[in-house]
Amino acid sequence: MIRNYFKIIWRNTIREKQFTFLNILGLTIGITSCFIIGLYVYNEVTYDTSHEKGDRIYRINQSYIWGDWNDQYAATGPNVAVALKADAPEFEKVTRMLSLGSQNMRNKSATENTNIFKEEEYFLAEENFFEVFSFEFIKGDPKTALKEPMSLAITQETASRYFGNKDPMGKPLEVRKSDGTWDTFTVSAVLADVPENSHIQFDILGSLSTIQKKLQNQNWLWAWTGFGTYGLVKEGTDIENLTNKIQAIPPKWAARTTERLFSQPYEEFTDGKEWKLYLQPLKEIYLSDTPNEHAFGPNGNPQFVKLFSAIGILILFLCSINFMNLSTARSSKRSKEVGIRKVLGSDRNRLIKQFVLESTLFVAASTLLAIILTQLSLSGFNAIADKELSFIPLLMNPICIGIIILFILILGVASGSYPAFYLSSFQPIETLKGKVTSVFKGKNLRNGLVVFQFTISIALIICAFFVQKQLAYTSSLDLGLIKDNVLQIHNIEQLGDRAETLKAKLEANPAFTDVGKSYGIPPNVWSGDKYRAFGPENPAIHFTDVRTEGDFLDVLGLTFIEGRNFDPDRIADKYGVVLNEEAVKVLGWGKRDTYAADSPIGKFVAMTNESADKMEVLGVVEDFNFTTTKEKIGPLVILHQDNDKVWNYGRGRTFLAARLDPNGVENSRNLQTLIEGIEKEMAQIDPSILFEYSFMDQEFEKTFKSEQRMAKVLNIFTVLALIIACLGLFGLAAFSAERRIKELGIRKVLGAKVSELALLFSSEFTKLVMISILLASPIAYLLVNEWLKDFAYRTPIDIWVFLVAAICAIVITLLTVSMQTLKAAMTNPVDNLRTE
Amino acid sequence: MLLQLNNISKWVHSGGQKVFLLKDINFWVHEGDFISIMGPSGSGKSTLLNIIGMLDGFDEGEYSFLDESVHTLKEKHRANLYKQYIGFVFQSYHLLDELTVKENLEMPLLYKKIGGSERKALVADMLDRFNIVGKKDLFPSQLSGGQQQLVGIARALIASPKLILADEPTGNLNSKQGEEIMEIFKQLNNEGVTIIQVTHSEKNTAYGSRIINLLDGSIV
Repeated sequence: MIRNYFKIIWRNTIREKQFTFLNILGLTIGITSCFIIGLYVYNEVTYDTSHEKGDRIYRINQSYIWGDWNDQYAATGPNVAVALKADAPEFEKVTRMLSLGSQNMRNKSATENTNIFKEEEYFLAEENFFEVFSFEFIKGDPKTALKEPMSLAITQETASRYFGNKDPMGKPLEVRKSDGTWDTFTVSAVLADVPENSHIQFDILGSLSTIQKKLQNQNWLWAWTGFGTYGLVKEGTDIENLTNKIQAIPPKWAARTTERLFSQPYEEFTDGKEWKLYLQPLKEIYLSDTPNEHAFGPNGNPQFVKLFSAIGILILFLCSINFMNLSTARSSKRSKEVGIRKVLGSDRNRLIKQFVLESTLFVAASTLLAIILTQLSLSGFNAIADKELSFIPLLMNPICIGIIILFILILGVASGSYPAFYLSSFQPIETLKGKVTSVFKGKNLRNGLVVFQFTISIALIICAFFVQKQLAYTSSLDLGLIKDNVLQIHNIEQLGDRAETLKAKLEANPAFTDVGKSYGIPPNVWSGDKYRAFGPENPAIHFTDVRTEGDFLDVLGLTFIEGRNFDPDRIADKYGVVLNEEAVKVLGWGKRDTYAADSPIGKFVAMTNESADKMEVLGVVEDFNFTTTKEKIGPLVILHQDNDKVWNYGRGRTFLAARLDPNGVENSRNLQTLIEGIEKEMAQIDPSILFEYSFMDQEFEKTFKSEQRMAKVLNIFTVLALIIACLGLFGLAAFSAERRIKELGIRKVLGAKVSELALLFSSEFTKLVMISILLASPIAYLLVNEWLKDFAYRTPIDIWVFLVAAICAIVITLLTVSMQTLKAAMTNPVDNLRTE
Repeated sequence: MLLQLNNISKWVHSGGQKVFLLKDINFWVHEGDFISIMGPSGSGKSTLLNIIGMLDGFDEGEYSFLDESVHTLKEKHRANLYKQYIGFVFQSYHLLDELTVKENLEMPLLYKKIGGSERKALVADMLDRFNIVGKKDLFPSQLSGGQQQLVGIARALIASPKLILADEPTGNLNSKQGEEIMEIFKQLNNEGVTIIQVTHSEKNTAYGSRIINLLDGSIV
């Protein structure tokens, strides 16, 4: 019997080539999408699962006490770990990591300066780090690798970068210091490359004991927030109790910091805000909303995971519906078989089994194709999504194979059950007598399914349009500064005093109109602190601050509303500040139109109430975007580069920014020569410094990298969903053409024109798509509205986008059914009417 | 007595009125009969045949088949009954297009769960008997109408039913092919197979032993 089933399924498959093709194509596209999305989601949710003691590891987050936002902050000062060790014996171990920013390193034995690499993923970690986290060791001892000062644990890839095939153990590696001299470290361990799905990504870990001296002096600090603090709790610890218990730590331990550093008692400093400590389980770190970033590696986007899971499931629905639609649409052909089989002795169960077997075979065949297609398209997807997903290793896993088989069975039964029950319910005398009226009973359901498919597709189209519109909108925003043609040269801090030499050279170059030095360049101005209008009663407010010089403000092309820029000839300007409009407003000094009556110029801002700390306001600039345009412009205080009243947490990176004369650089080759010239000049000053550059407009683009990535992925899946929906529509149209051919023939005999028939025929489907548009629009509106909430500057939700999407959908519908329409409208009625 | 119908009526409701498809049919068949049912279009011939074949139900009356009263049987038993004893032949043959002649013949045996070797033997027998051995691997579409009907009869016969129900078996055939089919029916009848056929053709009734004339649902 089974052989008979297979035979008839196989021959049907061969005979009905169009049906088979549509079905397999739809299923394959759907399953491939589903696999790729599944791989992506699996990868995202399995971060940090490979640590042996992973379920007992927690990251310690704290309230962001320095600012107004209420999110958790993933970084702590050095003292948090000290306090936990002292006051919370529930912790078996507490370990710290410290980010020092990128460092330039070289292999000491190689004298060539070309052998320098910039290490972005270099951190310091405490001695017990590898007793908490189980990163795989190739050489060295996890217990002692980070014990001695000046030790480095490096990954295999890093080892081959510096040492090739030679054994790196015990070999020296040098790290460049800010004064241009080199510290010599010793390689103490070689680790396997850090797995991609780890939230901590490092190439090199230095021993925290390297900075022992500094750490001993500042171990009491809660302000030096470069640390990541991780705790391993003892087995059976009640986390809720522990969390409650450690809330006593900040008042007890942080008071020293507020008193010594900010000259304020703890209560006054926190000003009613709770300084809390949070315990975040290791497995939740990567996909957490808050904190949504940290210094030691990537942070996932839980919204993307939810969005793509939803799209994956929807696409699976779409292709399953497609299968049902095409199968039941073909029922007039299959009904005869059902009738004969019933008369010859088959009961309904057997027919159901046969049809479910058929759909399962279709799904199985499509799944095989989808596995191949997934493997083929994965590298493309990885490039777009910036991921390193791989499929083959998973396919080798018996659990995964089991899941795929289960998937085939579920999808096969789900897609096959409706057609099976539907087809097997036919009464033999009706089907055999050719009384096929009852065969069309499922029409409303089928139409409903097509409406459902198109609703999803159209909603996706509208969303994709708005994502593009928003991205275009943000990149064309008026930023308040001129972002084009600004070249930024990095690593200037390593030049030290010789930075001025390079600056002078650039200034002498006619290709540049302005050159300026700065410690931060939009859109990467991050640092901030609490400032106040000088005076005892004034509240401290969180400001973003940036150190720079007057020339830099000229490079940016900022507009001064009031006052003046820093003047290099006036020594007192060292303690002057330039504010933006927003800063003036939050300090309570009025808006632009009140400046004439009560000018902010000459007033003072300060960090404390000490009068020695006050800084005079020199000028006010128009608001400009100094961070990503996702955020509104906040208060900004621009400090003079030499200002030593504001604590300078480990002098940061310095840049030279130069505005290109757009007339001077006509083509990319000119630009290339120009940049190479600068590289040579920098090498002349100090050949051991890496030459790196970027352009400001590109940096602004980069802040939307993840949105752009999402947009691309969304576009792809929107197109796929649309293709699947169109396949379903095509099948339905083919079915309808077959069913209505007699009606259309009669109409033609009675005098209808081809165009009238075409209109009549296609209106059946246009109607369905119209309904879908009506359903999809409010859904899309809600989704878009929700997504736009993340942006400070939102593109308006214009009605024309909906109209364009609607027109697109209708055009696509007409094109899809056009072939069937013409076929139906143009056949000679004699052919159809005679065969009845 | 093979089967007996007593006062069988079947009706549908149309516009609030009962419209009789069959009214008070009394009808019996002995083993070895060859009965022709005649009548104009819409007189209820096919309905009657379907009721006899247990493919359709009725609203009133009694039907007994081999001394079992069909009207009291459950759907499943009824299906078992007709599977075992009745073979169908259709005007438009109703062969499965996707299966070869041999496979079409084999199908009823599959549903009866008859073993592979026995199945082969029975199919070979049937092919031989109807002289279609050479056609066994062809698909229905490769055969003429007469040949297709031959396969249809062979398929109806393969499970050795007691009764063959034929609904206008020659309706789609030309007269020569029609005659050949009727000759075969005649021969089968001589071998002891009971046959009931619905037909329009006076000529075909000549092959049978008894004629039932239907008009507007009643026997006249």
